[in-house]
Amino acid sequence: MAIKIDYKKELESAAKGMILIHDPRLLMKLIVRSIVQRVHIDHAGMILYDPVKDIYVLSISRGAQGSRIPEGFIRFDKTNPIIKFFCQKEYKYLVENRNALVAEDINKMIWKESVISNGNGTKELLHDVSEQMPLLNAVACVPAYYQHNLLAILLLGQRDDGNRFDQEELDFFSALASDVAMAIRNAQLFEDLKREAERNRNLFIQTTIALGSAIEAKDAYTHGHTERVTKYALAIARQMEATKIYDFPPKFFENLYIAGLLHDIGKIGVAESILCKVDKLTEEEYEIMKTHTTRGAEILSPLTGFDEVINGVKFHHERYDGKGYPTGLKGEDIPIIAAIIAVADTYDAITTDRSYRKGLSKEIAIGEIQKFSCKQFHPLPVNALVELYNKGEL
Amino acid sequence: MAKLLIVDDESDVREFARSFFKKRGIEVFLASGGQQALDLIAKERPDLVLLDVRMEEMTGVDVLKYLRKANDQTKVIMVTGVEEEETFKEANSLGVISYIHKPLILEELEKVVLAQINK
Repeated sequence: MAIKIDYKKELESAAKGMILIHDPRLLMKLIVRSIVQRVHIDHAGMILYDPVKDIYVLSISRGAQGSRIPEGFIRFDKTNPIIKFFCQKEYKYLVENRNALVAEDINKMIWKESVISNGNGTKELLHDVSEQMPLLNAVACVPAYYQHNLLAILLLGQRDDGNRFDQEELDFFSALASDVAMAIRNAQLFEDLKREAERNRNLFIQTTIALGSAIEAKDAYTHGHTERVTKYALAIARQMEATKIYDFPPKFFENLYIAGLLHDIGKIGVAESILCKVDKLTEEEYEIMKTHTTRGAEILSPLTGFDEVINGVKFHHERYDGKGYPTGLKGEDIPIIAAIIAVADTYDAITTDRSYRKGLSKEIAIGEIQKFSCKQFHPLPVNALVELYNKGEL
Repeated sequence: MAKLLIVDDESDVREFARSFFKKRGIEVFLASGGQQALDLIAKERPDLVLLDVRMEEMTGVDVLKYLRKANDQTKVIMVTGVEEEETFKEANSLGVISYIHKPLILEELEKVVLAQINK
């Protein structure tokens, strides 16, 4: 005896699945499998639209051996009769009251007055459809649309008891199919958003690099400075991690990279007469020069999720003993990202030519920086720099 | 009756292809791996072999190599997914008739296979 299925209940549990399962493919596999088991049919499958390749692929197939169709084996383009039937508006009226294309209806459709009289190939198309459906082991096809775009087709095979699908069942499958379409659509939107965010981020990093070189254009003596500081800072951080004295969070290296390239971005707001001055700066000029840290932080402040980068830019002139600028932060209160950039920045400043002197040797630079460990500099990045020097990696 | 050998390590593919070509009046043989394929080619002398490239035990290209080494010029169509350039170069040098790319269009599969078998 056939067991009556409570379709409303089934639909509810499917809808709950949509909320719980965010991977639409997994969800559809579960739905297709449960159709085979609960409705007792030899085969159920799903043709899915691939928006990247603009094709339809038979992606899911469940059922008895010999009735299943290999998954991902067959594709359909828009000239395929079944796809054509569901994609083109002119055929919609033929299945309107059924919500599905049922094989045994096709013969009746072919002899409809409207089909015989219009002569635009509808009859031939229906013939082709009725030849395709058995190839896909389907006696009924249920389309799933999102805003008139065909996103999926649910394929239903023979019932074990040989009975035909009644309208209540077809309505149930149709409701299920449109839920599936919604789930696919949501997942695609989510993917698009993720891609968009990734693209924006890359664009931002490119812009950052361009901005970084704009600063250097103002001062010939700092040519290549930001790039080198970034390189040293990353090397120091890697060394700190390798020697297990520091465990950085996953995004740290990316943030350090961006902060390194941007650490002097605030110099954009400092007059060239001060930036490029060969003689010693007056006290007033020095005060203006110091504002590049806070100006840099201000420039970057509209960006969300850049707190750590901004910390690196704002505090890279703080000192371990609290005598730095702009805020006089002390010791461990100075964000480690800024403490690393400070050491890298000073090392590069000593070893390269300046408007007021020639560049000094690596030995002298290392000696100077070591002398000021725990005074000007955080000791951990200093140790890492010394280790890099000893390994010949500077 | 024309003979067709289908070589694929996925049983759903074998079963589907068997029923698809049987309906078209073709005698179909199935092999789930390279060694079985080579044995069947020697025994049944099929008119055409549909050979999957990606198989666990022995790749389609390896099967083809053995075949040609034994100086067997049986007609072979390769069934491919996403493959390296090298795979195509090697298969070309071993005299493959053509390729069918997965996911495939059924009408094309039928056309390509019937064209070779009716030659």
